[in-house]
Amino acid sequence: MPESSYEPVRKPFEGIRVADFAWVGVGPLVSKYLADHGAEVIRIESTTYPETLRRVGPFVDDVPNIDGSGYFANFNSSKLGVSVNLKHPKGPDLVRRLLARCDVVTESFTPGTMARFGLDYESIRGVRPDIIMISMPLYGQDGPWAHYAGYGHVLQAAAGFNHFTGWEDGPPLGTGVAYTDFLVPHFAAIALIAALDYRRRTGEGQYIDFSQFEAAIHGLWTAILDWTINGHEQTRLGNHDLEAAPHNAYRCRDGRWVVIACETEKHWEGLKAALGRPEWCDMERMRRRWQRINEQKEIDRHLTFWFEDFTRLPTEAAFQVEEGVEGPPVRKYTTEEVVRLFQSFGVPCGIVQSPEEMHADPQLAHRHHYWKLEHPVMGLRTYDAPSFKLSLTPGELTRPAPLLGQHNEYVFKQIVGLTDDEYVDLLADGAFD
Amino acid sequence: MNPERPPVPLPHPTGPLTGYRVLDLADEKGQLGTRLLAELGADVIKIEPPRDGDPTRQHAPFFRNEAGAETSLFWWTMNAGKRSITLQLKLEAGRQLFHRLVAHSDIVVETTIPGEAAALGLDYASIERANPGAILVSITGFGQDGPYARWHATDIVGAAMGGLMYLNGDPERGPVRTTVPQAYTQVNVQAMVGALIALYARPLNGGRGQHVDVSMQEAVANTMDNAQQTWDIRRVNASGPGLHRNTAGVRTARYLFETADGWVAALQAGGLIGQQANAIIDWLAENGEARGLDSPEWRQKLTSLQPLTPEDRQYVEETMAAFCRTRKKEDLVAEAQRRGAGWAPVFSPREIVESKQLAARNYWTRVTHHDLGETFIYPGAPFRLSATPWMQRGRAPHIGEHNEEVYCGLLGLDSQELRRLRLRMVI
Repeated sequence: MPESSYEPVRKPFEGIRVADFAWVGVGPLVSKYLADHGAEVIRIESTTYPETLRRVGPFVDDVPNIDGSGYFANFNSSKLGVSVNLKHPKGPDLVRRLLARCDVVTESFTPGTMARFGLDYESIRGVRPDIIMISMPLYGQDGPWAHYAGYGHVLQAAAGFNHFTGWEDGPPLGTGVAYTDFLVPHFAAIALIAALDYRRRTGEGQYIDFSQFEAAIHGLWTAILDWTINGHEQTRLGNHDLEAAPHNAYRCRDGRWVVIACETEKHWEGLKAALGRPEWCDMERMRRRWQRINEQKEIDRHLTFWFEDFTRLPTEAAFQVEEGVEGPPVRKYTTEEVVRLFQSFGVPCGIVQSPEEMHADPQLAHRHHYWKLEHPVMGLRTYDAPSFKLSLTPGELTRPAPLLGQHNEYVFKQIVGLTDDEYVDLLADGAFD
Repeated sequence: MNPERPPVPLPHPTGPLTGYRVLDLADEKGQLGTRLLAELGADVIKIEPPRDGDPTRQHAPFFRNEAGAETSLFWWTMNAGKRSITLQLKLEAGRQLFHRLVAHSDIVVETTIPGEAAALGLDYASIERANPGAILVSITGFGQDGPYARWHATDIVGAAMGGLMYLNGDPERGPVRTTVPQAYTQVNVQAMVGALIALYARPLNGGRGQHVDVSMQEAVANTMDNAQQTWDIRRVNASGPGLHRNTAGVRTARYLFETADGWVAALQAGGLIGQQANAIIDWLAENGEARGLDSPEWRQKLTSLQPLTPEDRQYVEETMAAFCRTRKKEDLVAEAQRRGAGWAPVFSPREIVESKQLAARNYWTRVTHHDLGETFIYPGAPFRLSATPWMQRGRAPHIGEHNEEVYCGLLGLDSQELRRLRLRMVI
């Protein structure tokens, strides 16, 4: 192919500029998608009220540092950062001048906050008619809970995720993470990119009223229709499943856990073969899936014993002579070997991996899931990449998270167009605090 | 439009994705995602095997607990607003027909195990040949390549291998999966973000489509909060905290408390620990239930931001637990919010459906199932776009309900050809 016909690939959001007022998890994770795919995303913060996550660790050497939070860093790769004091008399005007040069505005304040600074959708439309603005508070723009405070840790309770987490005979548990913070950003990103696509075709911007609560409910699978249609309330089942058995986590000799899920006859036949067809699993009352669901406590008991008897520590021999038992040595498996054995028989299974194991996971390494970026304060650190690989326009984490106010000079001089003198005067006057 | 017999799906001429077409060959890992595209206006065509239809039609629960190909509430939830055709991709004639459909489509979503797609004509090379502008979204357990690429994975395997399950659970009983499948949910919605990014990139790159390779394991890995960074920076593995919360690898104060009628979620022992603790201490004191926490020493200790001793923390947690146990959760939440603390009730599906907030926002939609002569309540808009609104587009399709519409209307086959295809079990 002649050299001249080569056209460089353009990044999806090349030329799109985003003013990101959102904070904590949900908003920054939406704009991270745009930033990692070519948009110029500007985090708009304030040194007077720094974003919550900057004050939450992990910090290097456990020393709190506004520019040293690994939590904040991970959600804000590939972005620029400015600080503006919206309570300074010139603050809102500076921001409006920036917004006139932006395509997208994201925010997640309590409803009414943006309006107080004259930065509601109607006002922004006055300076940028085709702007797309998305507001993403917990409960939406109106209603009796619109002003309720909270974080993902408690929204997940209202949205049903605690109800569905834990053992059948025990209390609702947390999911261990601020779960909705990692669920609803994807919904918001879908709406936002669809709106961008519509704008490109029609020139028309719009406003998106996004309630984290309302999006999260779509993650409850069949639970809502089961209630509204059948009047049946689903509840937490530990590691069991409505439709599959065995379906559980089992502890290996090294203390780690392996999950197994037999959803189909093929999975069950595979498991029987992998176990060497012990007598119990060929019993008549184990023949059909619904029978196995009824018998799952017994199946769990057998499998728990199997995992106790047939797994080993890596330091132990693969073939061991059973004490007090006649016969040849018995094959024992490390946790990794158990998973490979069952997988080779077509049984869905896997290890419950710790953060440390994730870090060393050969599959994630092969997929280049974690990115390492050099941060001026934190050094070389781990960042999450998108779960999808685009063959033509892959995501790229182009820079570590911004320091607070790191790009003030670039943004306000190059993009907004302040002169050197204007910039220095405003700086001295506290407009960028 | 006859309100008794609305068309299936309802037309959506004002969606942001109106005009795009999506072919949906996905299992549980992709059907929710493509439904969202339908609700944004795309024409989503579900492709099912002839006769029995899609295997996910067998998923419980069923309407009135009567199992059948048209009564699965899973099917209703995930496929509302789509069209359905039958097509046998194991036959050459079926694959030819499929590639003619691809030529009229923008996005194709499939979920076969890597290595199995080519035999069905679903590999990217075949899709690209049929339509260089098409975007192929392949959703799998571990992605298209790598040592685990061909491993079998269901939801719990994704939750385990993706690290979320380790963070979830209880120190005594071990790791636990959230019963409503979240590895599946995550990969559904993250895959659609990838699909739309590829769609947005298309006109910038001469109309070229591309392959979007999505991994359920990676989708779950992205839900680990700050656990990965906590390992990276502090070399600490966060693990299932039970009723407590993990903060950067440290098990901190309890945040789930039993009430007279259920449970509430209230961080930092309901706000008794932290800079704003005085507002909550006052609340307990006004009710005579502060158990001494309203003394100047305790107030200083609780607002200082210094870690409490385990004994002190336990005393604080027990004080909050006793306060909550005699009160109703919605009263507690309303009063805590009035005092500036971000509490929420632990809701069940029924309580979500009865939520005042969602009623005030007019959240729920009614969906007519004219085939059953009934109307049911479905979840409403996950996002509200002012110019191009989200729209629920009616019930899920029956098996092959739109064969004639699609094969004759879109591909221009005549009824004779359609009959022949049916006899040959192609459709």
